[in-house]
Amino acid sequence: MVRSHILVCGGTGCHSSGSDKLIEIFESELKNAGLGDEVKVIKTGCFGLCALGPVVVIYPEGAFYSQVKSEDVKEIVTEHLLKGRLVKRLLYTETVVADTVLSLDDTDFYRKQKRVALRNCGVIDPENINEYIAYDGYMALAKVLTEMTPEGVIKVISDSGLRGRGGGGFPTGKKWGFTAVQTDEVKYVCCNADEGDPGAFMDRSVLEGDPHCVIEAMAIAGYAIGAHFGYIYVRAEYPIAVKRLKIAIDQAREVGLLGRIFSEPVSTSTLTFVWAQAHSSAERKPLCSTPSKASAATPVPVLRSPLSRVFSASPQ
Amino acid sequence: MKNLAELQALRDDMKTKIGVRKDGEHRMRIVVGMATCGIAAGARPVLAACVKEIETRKLTDVVVAQTGCIGICQFEPVIEIYDADGSKTTYVHVTPEKVPNIVASHVVNGIPVVEYTIGANAN
Repeated sequence: MVRSHILVCGGTGCHSSGSDKLIEIFESELKNAGLGDEVKVIKTGCFGLCALGPVVVIYPEGAFYSQVKSEDVKEIVTEHLLKGRLVKRLLYTETVVADTVLSLDDTDFYRKQKRVALRNCGVIDPENINEYIAYDGYMALAKVLTEMTPEGVIKVISDSGLRGRGGGGFPTGKKWGFTAVQTDEVKYVCCNADEGDPGAFMDRSVLEGDPHCVIEAMAIAGYAIGAHFGYIYVRAEYPIAVKRLKIAIDQAREVGLLGRIFSEPVSTSTLTFVWAQAHSSAERKPLCSTPSKASAATPVPVLRSPLSRVFSASPQ
Repeated sequence: MKNLAELQALRDDMKTKIGVRKDGEHRMRIVVGMATCGIAAGARPVLAACVKEIETRKLTDVVVAQTGCIGICQFEPVIEIYDADGSKTTYVHVTPEKVPNIVASHVVNGIPVVEYTIGANAN
């Protein structure tokens, strides 16, 4: 019987400002107050306000506490969780209007944003597949497997106008279409989560906050192009992302959403995951022996490359 | 996970468990007075009973929240039910035993349990 959820940000930003410690203290304070069974602490992905970390959001009130320190925890537990009084001095000032608390989506920072790829970050526990499923996770894969043909999937992607987010902006539907017509028996779906560009943390946010959505998307791509293997290439500098991806893959495999999916009545997708992890930048060796050269040609992601059975996509 | 039906069943079950995290999408709010007066009069078991009842009935669009002193300490434990249109019903001297009745009648069927309201108890 759980009546309240404490969401503590476990993204890299809040993690480095001490959110793991906060979770420990919350759990011990809740126990001391006799609330252990009715209040649940959940470690989420990034909320997107790293400068205000560590961030703690408490539902059902939706109270957004920022820059929470270890010594604040006891006050939050006794005031907010026991007596139902918000700790105003810790509320993110933008969410406090008159005497009510605004939802985070109504603050200036978020009002003009619609989070699509990051919709579950800061909302679910990325280490719990059931929470992803609660937010309709794996339903798209289920729909694809039970109702659509691979050609139908590619058409939906083409019609959507979705493009690669890696910079080239290559139309995703074309990429999938090219790969689908290749006659090789073994094909691969590759996810390039290396994110080498300085100061870019989009891939990291997705992988840390919602790893299952990357896996689901790869499984859908695998079905569309006829691939049975998936590769995720992720950087060693993202230890939290690596850990959560591994957990996610194991969980998906365990409940039967990877490998042979939907054994009844027919199984059509059998994506299996292979793991690749970069060494830290300093010691990284190139995958190919020839150094890469800049090319003036339009990048064609599938045909006539040494890895002609492969296409890659970034997690976003 | 053998088939789509299993996945859907799991999703529906999980939705009830994460229902409290929805922002402003609730049809009804049950607010329990949890100031010193409320707690002393037995508001904690009432709060627990409310949560349990909502969970048992899988009412994902209803939230149970707490508040401080409502100002009528002699009537504690007090719970207030806010309907979607903002109208409020105040129940007084609530016990865990009364909660299932209030939830079934008011929250599910929209008929307030008049005999438990402050109007019927003010004198």
